[in-house]
Amino acid sequence: MQDLIHGFADVLTVYTLAWICAGVTLGYVLGVLPGLGKATGVAVAIPLTFYLEPVAAIALLIGIAKGSAAGSAVSAILLNTPGEPSSAPTALDGYPMARQGKAQKALKMGLYASVIGDFLSTVLLICLAAPMARYALLIGPVELCAILVFSMTFIGGLSGRSLLKGLIAGAFGVFFATVGLETETFIPRLTFGLLDLDDGLPLVPIAIGMLAVAEMIVQAGNMRQLDRETEQIVDGTRPEDRVVLWSDWKRCFAPILRGTLIGSVVGILPGLGASVGSFLSYGATRRASDRPEEFGTGRIEGVAAAESADNAVVPASFVPLFALGIPGSVIAAILIAAFVLHGLTPGPRMFQEQPELVAAVYAAMLCASGILLFIGYTGQRIFARVATVPVRLIIPVVLFLCCIGAWMETGSIFAIYIMLAFTVLGILAKKLDFSFVTFLIGFVIGPSVELSFRQSLQILDHRWSNLTGHPIALVFIALTAVVLVALARGRSGGGAVGTVRDTGTTITKGRIS
Amino acid sequence: MKHPDRRKVTAALAALALAAFGQAGAAQAQGYPDKPITMLVGYNAGGQTDLVARAAAKVLSDELGQPVNVVNKPGAGGGVAARELTQATPDGYTIMFHANSVVNQDPFLMKRITFTPEDFEWAGFITVYQAGLITQKDAPYDDLDGFVAWAKENPGFAYATLSPGARMIMQEIAKKEGLEVNYVPVKGGGEMINAILGKQSVLAMSGGLHAKYPDDIKTLAVLTTFRQPSWPEAKSIDEYGYTLAMDGRAGIMAPKGTPPEIIERLSDALAKAETDETFAKVTGAADIPIMYMNATDAKAEIERTYREYGEIFRNAGIEPQ
Repeated sequence: MQDLIHGFADVLTVYTLAWICAGVTLGYVLGVLPGLGKATGVAVAIPLTFYLEPVAAIALLIGIAKGSAAGSAVSAILLNTPGEPSSAPTALDGYPMARQGKAQKALKMGLYASVIGDFLSTVLLICLAAPMARYALLIGPVELCAILVFSMTFIGGLSGRSLLKGLIAGAFGVFFATVGLETETFIPRLTFGLLDLDDGLPLVPIAIGMLAVAEMIVQAGNMRQLDRETEQIVDGTRPEDRVVLWSDWKRCFAPILRGTLIGSVVGILPGLGASVGSFLSYGATRRASDRPEEFGTGRIEGVAAAESADNAVVPASFVPLFALGIPGSVIAAILIAAFVLHGLTPGPRMFQEQPELVAAVYAAMLCASGILLFIGYTGQRIFARVATVPVRLIIPVVLFLCCIGAWMETGSIFAIYIMLAFTVLGILAKKLDFSFVTFLIGFVIGPSVELSFRQSLQILDHRWSNLTGHPIALVFIALTAVVLVALARGRSGGGAVGTVRDTGTTITKGRIS
Repeated sequence: MKHPDRRKVTAALAALALAAFGQAGAAQAQGYPDKPITMLVGYNAGGQTDLVARAAAKVLSDELGQPVNVVNKPGAGGGVAARELTQATPDGYTIMFHANSVVNQDPFLMKRITFTPEDFEWAGFITVYQAGLITQKDAPYDDLDGFVAWAKENPGFAYATLSPGARMIMQEIAKKEGLEVNYVPVKGGGEMINAILGKQSVLAMSGGLHAKYPDDIKTLAVLTTFRQPSWPEAKSIDEYGYTLAMDGRAGIMAPKGTPPEIIERLSDALAKAETDETFAKVTGAADIPIMYMNATDAKAEIERTYREYGEIFRNAGIEPQ
């Protein structure tokens, strides 16, 4: 605590605060712009950090990470084109809210949820970095595999109107994720001799193509109708649509806390990432709700759940970095470079060797949370006007940014071809009502499941009986079985189109009678 | 078969161009560089090699008086970037900073990578990778012989494999000693370290990242032909009687046909990194030893290692996939 106060003294200088502001602003703007995101921000910032003081350099990078995670909600809500894949679930309810004239309310709730998730997760990091990281090491591949398989049952909650179509889309996601070098014997799969596919299909161009470009093309098809609607929805005719009311807070309180918790856990576990966190949180909130069928029509809880988890992942992914020196996310991996460059080796010894610098980094992260609230609030007033801009002006700008974003990460035209290919798939998915959310979950979680499963086979020495040494894994395997049985019985007992909750009551009634 | 053909054509054209405009080439080399230089890096931004490359780029740009812009083109262990380099104009304005494994190891593992040392000009190496076989600090053995003895008693132990090369090394040891190994695939250096710290594997091959964990990890054998500065007491795998040591070096490559004067200029500029303070800070923090080789030595080194390492992989019965 003493150190933390000293840390604040180091950080609360004009110099350092200016770099935090710069980082958060840059991240926020990049997050807002569809197609651009963390990858772009980091590419810009790395050379810069060579010339900065350690605290300022690290604060700048952390600012970018936090800012882009929050900013991506803005375009998700206003344009239905998430700035980063992790904000895809935000768009599910945020965009309908915007079309109902409640854009301001959705944006504000998105920001508040982001900041709360981010702040609480940072506090968690500060209090628990060392003990939690030791616990995280207990979660080996065997446990991770069981947890991931369990999380896949959430696909049921996210698949939209038809469970079957949701599962098909999820399976396609897994299928496309198998492209590239196979991890155990390094044999190329489905690469068609293309060297560019050796490392698999890249997530960013796929997400941009399916989420942003496809959406723009669909909107171009409905341009007249959308513009007519836009004219009618004069933003916020009623004051209660522009602010977050107490009643909204009451509804969002639990989803935000749940989102923060899910985001923090996902962040601590290696190899998952923000997309998994926000999808899981959205799915869990939908499942816990009284009226899951209303999700996707503009429920404010959906926005709160997705955004709080999305942002909670970022600080939590620093827990393994600080405590063990293991990066939990892309930004964390980049931060290792920044730390090392400035003579600090992430890991347990960091706390003993340079407690002042660690405290300063913590203080910088807390400051970044506050600055994020300020910049987000100011920025929204400007960005919210986008909702009233005619579609024909938005589309070309977004398409241009998408191409830049797809190209930026690997610097190759090949990524733009991938983006275009998945645009076609995205349009088909929209037209035929297949869920792109379950597709992305399959694509993101699929490879992690495969890798951790194959690791588990080797670690368990190919014997089922060795599972008894992994009680955490056993618990999750049991949970998965219970959920699957409940889902299957619910579906067959309650008719084809019932929701999980409705069919659940049918079962109980059936038992009583 | 498409690539070698295209490369042959490029090389032929380059040779032709060089012959025809030899004079002009020399003149052009004299003014070199008069515009910014692009430096490709075949790994993601923020990785170890990228960090060294950026520090080297700074030294080069100070020496040459022109900006040296780092462009990351990740993919296939550097194969994507190297392929792009073969297609670039050989004028010294497109160069690549990378591990030489893309030429002296990858072609023997991947069917679609067909580079030979002749496909590039070599402007010198500056750092080496401290690859080694690593384990937990509290493990009951202190060298490779001790481990092999333990492994014979404990069949089915878990060995973390980061790359095809890592797999090949254990396969060779296992073949010779009759060990039974479970190969646990890991993605990336971070996960490899995790597998050791979390005790999910008893042994792993590390590319040098373990230097940052001296309290938790020990090195049983180093995988280079020489002893490594960070672990002078750890014997080379060759000293243990397995001919498997392969030296990985990072340095500057240029497209085939880049004028020798320009290569000389780059080689001399890279030499300055040896004594540069910032460069020493960056590499020192990550425990990456500096071992400079000039253009002539680098060419000889890559030709020798290409021959010898190809032999190691062929003896191991590895077919490029």
